[in-house]
Amino acid sequence: MSRLLDRNREIGAFVPQQDDDLIICRCEEITKGEIRRAVHEGMWTLTEVKRFLRAGMGLCQGQTCGRLVKGIVAKELGVRPSELEDTTARCPTRPVEMQVFGNEVHGHE
Amino acid sequence: MKRYELIVIGAGPAGLSAAVEAANAGMSVAVFDENARPGGQLFKQIHKFFGSKEHQAKIRGFRIGQQLLKQAEESGVEVHLNSVVMGIFDLGEITVQHGDGVCHYKGDSILIATGACENMVPFDGWTLPGVMGAGAAQTMMNLHGVQPGSRVLMVGSGNVGLVVSFQLLQAGVEVAAVIDAAPQIGGYGVHAAKLARIGVPFYLSHTIVKAEGTDHVTGAVIAQVDESFRPIAGTEKHLDVDTVCIAVGLSPMSQLARMAGCEMTEKGGAVPVVDEYGQTSIPGLFVAGDVGGIEEASSAMIGGRIAGAAAARRSGYLPEEEFREKASALKASLGQLHEGMFSPKNKGRRDLTVTDEGYLLSKTLLHHGYLSEEEVAGFPGAAPGKSAGIHPVIECTQNIPCNPCQDACRFGCIRVGDHMTALPAVAENARCVGCGMCVASCPGQAIFLVNDEEEAGTATVTLPYEFLPVPEKGAKGVALGRDGRVVCPAEVVEAKTAGFMDGTVLLTMRVPLEMSMKARFFKTGEGTK
Amino acid sequence: MRIQKHPILDRIQKGRQVTFSLDGKPMQGYEGEPIAAALLAAGVRVHRYTTKARQPRGIFCAIGRCTDCVMVVDGKPNVRTCVTPLKEGMRVQTQVGISAKKESDDHETI
Repeated sequence: MSRLLDRNREIGAFVPQQDDDLIICRCEEITKGEIRRAVHEGMWTLTEVKRFLRAGMGLCQGQTCGRLVKGIVAKELGVRPSELEDTTARCPTRPVEMQVFGNEVHGHE
Repeated sequence: MKRYELIVIGAGPAGLSAAVEAANAGMSVAVFDENARPGGQLFKQIHKFFGSKEHQAKIRGFRIGQQLLKQAEESGVEVHLNSVVMGIFDLGEITVQHGDGVCHYKGDSILIATGACENMVPFDGWTLPGVMGAGAAQTMMNLHGVQPGSRVLMVGSGNVGLVVSFQLLQAGVEVAAVIDAAPQIGGYGVHAAKLARIGVPFYLSHTIVKAEGTDHVTGAVIAQVDESFRPIAGTEKHLDVDTVCIAVGLSPMSQLARMAGCEMTEKGGAVPVVDEYGQTSIPGLFVAGDVGGIEEASSAMIGGRIAGAAAARRSGYLPEEEFREKASALKASLGQLHEGMFSPKNKGRRDLTVTDEGYLLSKTLLHHGYLSEEEVAGFPGAAPGKSAGIHPVIECTQNIPCNPCQDACRFGCIRVGDHMTALPAVAENARCVGCGMCVASCPGQAIFLVNDEEEAGTATVTLPYEFLPVPEKGAKGVALGRDGRVVCPAEVVEAKTAGFMDGTVLLTMRVPLEMSMKARFFKTGEGTK
Repeated sequence: MRIQKHPILDRIQKGRQVTFSLDGKPMQGYEGEPIAAALLAAGVRVHRYTTKARQPRGIFCAIGRCTDCVMVVDGKPNVRTCVTPLKEGMRVQTQVGISAKKESDDHETI
């Protein structure tokens, strides 16, 4: 079984660190400590961390914090960042208002 | 829904180059870009590019951008600005948000050329107004004509950090320091030297600990780091700055490729797996430029052309034979850019000690941004014994793909050779006439003209000058050495330029004879900061 | 501060000078330039205060991706000022959470 899927694997206890109150997700104001704590509360994938904390769900949709969150979660799990599966990339790629999203323009300019 | 034979996502150097290539082969091409202006990062680059003539060497980035745009227009490429490609779906369909509505388009082939986004390094106070990406500083200065701040700390010494620092100086902004957690400067030595001779200090093995201020940045604290990059207590230094720029690398913006279901791999971020022409695991879906792996604009343009040609071949516009020939030539050109000290295969290496030719790489250059006088004399561009009369002194000491100096001299005084990563050398019997073409042509601003006036006990030094105000003839001031320290009094003999120098001024100053190999920059007045 | 003369770049083409308001105060800028450019030129660095911790934010990426520079523009919140062109008479307000800053900003409800 892959290391990541084995939820019984020991990753150690949560150890408070000096920079735990550093803001990582700027849009939702989520700190490094909150992200690290979430891993110890059982959120072992980027998707789970995202839905649990809203890190990456703010206005910028993870454009700024994505790589940072990945690094922090990977470190906490003791794996390389590239081993973690990215959160799903979905349409729309940038924030768009619902009234615009629903306004299909037929034909072309 | 409108159908195009090629849809290009991103109007940066890769995207536009691909579009032009494909359109010239006969394809109907549309380019979509989320920005109000095309050109991606190209229009923010005001320095002269490296490479060789075929790579547009010694041409400023934004002019290359203007050329590309013109070509796109002439080839009949449709460029849609303020158009966000929101999603990419099966069978070549994309949805684009433009203004108040959403439109669907279909492409027989699609090229994703969305580029990269800046990496971040969080620190105490990094959310304060005044802390911004280096790209943001560039955008405000070069696109909007507004200074990002008045005194900047640059975090990161790769080419972006070095280039943007110089641009800040050109925009009239002070640069308090360039720092990097790594033990050596990450970008080209010549870019660092441009900053060092003006007096910008480099702090390697340093990181930013805090940005101070309540509503905005009013200062910064940096500290030395140990081998594990952890700040060492007691080494904190305070800097008076109102702006902190972050230049710690780029990551590919590959969301659309992932959305499309491409097979991905890791290359400084998630990038699609591609064949030699940029086609992903999805037939008809290509990538080019930084989104496929971070390099720079010159490689992006060639990569774009290769992908554009591949799309043309796929749609039957380019016969197989012609395509292979074209692709082969382009790949050879791209290969030339992939050589030298900073080549992709050397990325992250800190153990290089000698140049290809066997010259010792300057440690002071790597750690402080400047060469020592002794080191300069040891390189083929500045060897002593050739100094009768006016002659060029080329302070180019790292193997980078670049050779405009060779073409610049009509009299063959400068030789790089067939491999453009070779260090330039001044010819044995150089008949220098002091025209200064080499000085103006060097993208690294690393060439100087030196004329020892033995009898008068003085010497003149001609240097490239790209600041305002331009010192006038007769202006009295001081000469700065390579490390930015005042070395002697100096007087301006001449300040001249010509149209083709595109803004570079040849500034000639007179200094005491013994200073001719020390004096490398001019400051009016007493030069106190 | 605006760059009056640049050693390399040609003078950047700007639209006509227009007046807009920032939190009710009259300001000047050039039509068509990003609102953020006009604000930065005028020395304004704080665009908003965050929802949770009421921390100040301003320009960060300057190309419309990070959304830190958003403000309330003509009554609409979350407008990215670094990519939104300035228009004559625009009402720009410092955003607090997702509302405009009020005179008495004690207990903002989101």
